[in-house]
Amino acid sequence: MTTTSPPKTPAGGPLGRLLGRRGPRVIAPLVSGQEIVLIAVIAVLWLVLGWATPAFLTADSLRPLLIEVAPIALIGVGMTLVIVAGGIDVSVGSQMMVCGVITARLLVDAHVSLPVAMLAAVAVGALMGAVNGVLIAWGRVHAIIITFGTLNLFQFVGRQIFGSQTVNGIPETLDVFGRGDPGQTLGVPHSFLLTAVIAAAVWWYLRQTPGGRHFYAIGGDPLAAELAGIRVRRRVLLTYVITGALVGLAAVFTLAKGTTTLDQSIGAGQELAVIAAVIIGGTSIMGGRGSVLGTILGALLVQTVSSGVTQLGWPSNLSDLFVGLFVIIAVGTDLLRQRARRRSR
Amino acid sequence: MAEGADGVTPRLSMTGVAKRYGAVRAIRHADIEVAAGTVHALVGENGAGKSTLIKILSGAVTADAGAIVFDGAPVQIANTTDAIALGIATVYQEPQLFAELTVSENIFLGRELRAGPRIDWAAQHAKVVELLELLGVPAKDATAPVGELSIAEQQQVSIAKALAGDAKVLILDEPSAILTDAEIDVLFGVIRRLKESGVAVIYISHRLDELFRIADVVTVMRDGATVGTYPLAELSVREIAELMVGGILNEERSAREVPDAPPRLELRSLGLAGKFHDVDLSVRPGEVVGLYGLVGSGVAEIASTIYGIEPATSGEIRIGGTSVRPTSPRHAQKLGIALLPADRKRQGMFAFQPIAFNISIGHLGLLSRLAIWMDRARERRVARELIDRLAVKTPSERQPIGAMSGGNSQKVVLARQLVERPDVLVLAEPTQGVDVGAKEEIHRIIDGLAAEGTAVLVVTSDLPEALRIADRLLVVRGGTTIAEFGRDASQVDVLAAAAGARDESPATVATEAADETGVTA
Repeated sequence: MTTTSPPKTPAGGPLGRLLGRRGPRVIAPLVSGQEIVLIAVIAVLWLVLGWATPAFLTADSLRPLLIEVAPIALIGVGMTLVIVAGGIDVSVGSQMMVCGVITARLLVDAHVSLPVAMLAAVAVGALMGAVNGVLIAWGRVHAIIITFGTLNLFQFVGRQIFGSQTVNGIPETLDVFGRGDPGQTLGVPHSFLLTAVIAAAVWWYLRQTPGGRHFYAIGGDPLAAELAGIRVRRRVLLTYVITGALVGLAAVFTLAKGTTTLDQSIGAGQELAVIAAVIIGGTSIMGGRGSVLGTILGALLVQTVSSGVTQLGWPSNLSDLFVGLFVIIAVGTDLLRQRARRRSR
Repeated sequence: MAEGADGVTPRLSMTGVAKRYGAVRAIRHADIEVAAGTVHALVGENGAGKSTLIKILSGAVTADAGAIVFDGAPVQIANTTDAIALGIATVYQEPQLFAELTVSENIFLGRELRAGPRIDWAAQHAKVVELLELLGVPAKDATAPVGELSIAEQQQVSIAKALAGDAKVLILDEPSAILTDAEIDVLFGVIRRLKESGVAVIYISHRLDELFRIADVVTVMRDGATVGTYPLAELSVREIAELMVGGILNEERSAREVPDAPPRLELRSLGLAGKFHDVDLSVRPGEVVGLYGLVGSGVAEIASTIYGIEPATSGEIRIGGTSVRPTSPRHAQKLGIALLPADRKRQGMFAFQPIAFNISIGHLGLLSRLAIWMDRARERRVARELIDRLAVKTPSERQPIGAMSGGNSQKVVLARQLVERPDVLVLAEPTQGVDVGAKEEIHRIIDGLAAEGTAVLVVTSDLPEALRIADRLLVVRGGTTIAEFGRDASQVDVLAAAAGARDESPATVATEAADETGVTA
């Protein structure tokens, strides 16, 4: 109610009014129904956990949660683009392994500065994304098959670079993204801060620009998108390149939150956590629908569940059960929605 | 040809256009000239070349030969972007829209109005509301996701999208096929307004009667060539049908004796809410009955109802005198009804599996020992037998069906229905997408099955086929059977009945009246 003019048409619902919108709504609401549900679920979980284990709602407990969320949310931002445009990338875990080991070796063996190492990680990630994107967009093979192949390929490349079992002596320069005091500003971890800034930028791009909206068109019907003059293959390639680049950055965050020793398990299983976050966030696995905000919320929910399970002292595999249930509920909701729509025609 | 006799340059002219796909000549020679501010109908039977012609015009395919002149200047249309740049907009039969995007986004997709790097939502919204008002769509729909609109509304969005690009030529590909009468009235209102504003509208339709309400001139195509362009005021539905069919006599017709027996399959005032109503027909053993109707007439739904895919909401189906109500394909099969589905690729075949598998699936009870394991030897034997009988061209019964030609794979799917010698066989579009030779063979197979005593119902939108194989031919229009013809029916009469000749030559009126009483000339 920030306006004094008499209320005209309901402007984008109560939330729209809250945000000071006037006149008829001309763009999708800022926050979708599913996202509101997610925010509510997370809020309830936090309250319940805060009540059950009073230590949960303290900065010392929430900060590690944000540090854990950052890499998954960051890759999730890229994965949202990929899935909205009708694809999928199951090779992000292996990409992270390659980026992680290259960054570690550059820092340890070549003594390069952190910015240079980060740049290298992002470049290597983008390159791997480009391999995926070119094969998918021009090879016309389904994304899950291509990226399943490259998952194994990148895994091999990563192991080769590891050579021996581990990389030891990861330097302190990484602490700027780490768990300690150098890694935070005003109590917010830098890795999460950077993730939030990137997510906000991509969120705006997807919502507001023609290029962003075209991803939705491609995921909805690639042939019709082509007929509408969209360069579908280039756009599809772009989604994988962005994802790869974000994996590179996420690998740096992952290195920073670990110990001074890097072993070959880095990235293992990350693809499933990321895809779960994207799906729970309301992005349709069939493409054409989804949002970055939803993905961030999805990642937060997944991490809240696993932190909560740990803090309550429950068996840790219960968190897998809960995440699995959330994924099924999210996919089920999406299917029911699409079926209801088809019947209403 | 309707030349620009008054010296006015036509908006668009195409001369000597030809196009072939591999060995198939889709268009041999087409000439068409479209004037601004007119509604120009384009008609022809399936396969006459209409859709290829509009695809050339809209840039979806390129012509092999011929010239296109737009507003007096020769132009090249190499892709859809070229066509859109010229102001040629196409509204396809299936709306090419994005369900998750809003109406406004759909209309401006690929040519968004910008404010800096972002989309200028307010400006787009204003323009869209204006367009929607012109089309009589409520302005509040502008921000609705397209997936929430009805098919008719989606079509209006497609038209709005075409108009947003400042179209000079608007191609409408069978826009009325999916619409109700009230929606068609709205559509025609829109077309008239566009015409008044100087847009040249190319209107493709199978419903000849409606052309007289909306079109000024009509170009008729036949066998890949334009026959000519005529003012509609000078023609009747029957005359257009004659031009579409040409002077060709029907080749061979079935000459089988149909035994005089009680009907095997009967439909009594069968109806499916919203799709068809009061359909009456009967098929005797050894008889082939054709059910012919245009796309959207309800003819396809009748077939799926008999086979239990969508159970009827009124009337009854009788098999051998007993009333039955198939509720699923499995149920229908148990009742002795075999169906050859229309959409072979989606409903009929397991592409990666060998022929033998494709034949035996659905008959595993018959081909297994003690209903536990498959009798492979018997499966192979039955498959080989049917391959011989249907003249399927294949090196072996182990060949995957997906690698075969359309005609051959259709024969395999047909073979599956013949394993158990059904009493009643319902075939939907049995030769769609099949080459001429295979078509001939499939017709002969159908003849043979009837001769062995099967009651065959062929549902088809291919007129020559209907005439070729049917002992009796029923015409469906507007969701119900409206006319019946015997073996000696003329193509023109049947087409005129299906396309909506209402108050024309006495011959058609007579057949229309003879609805269910029996065979007439």
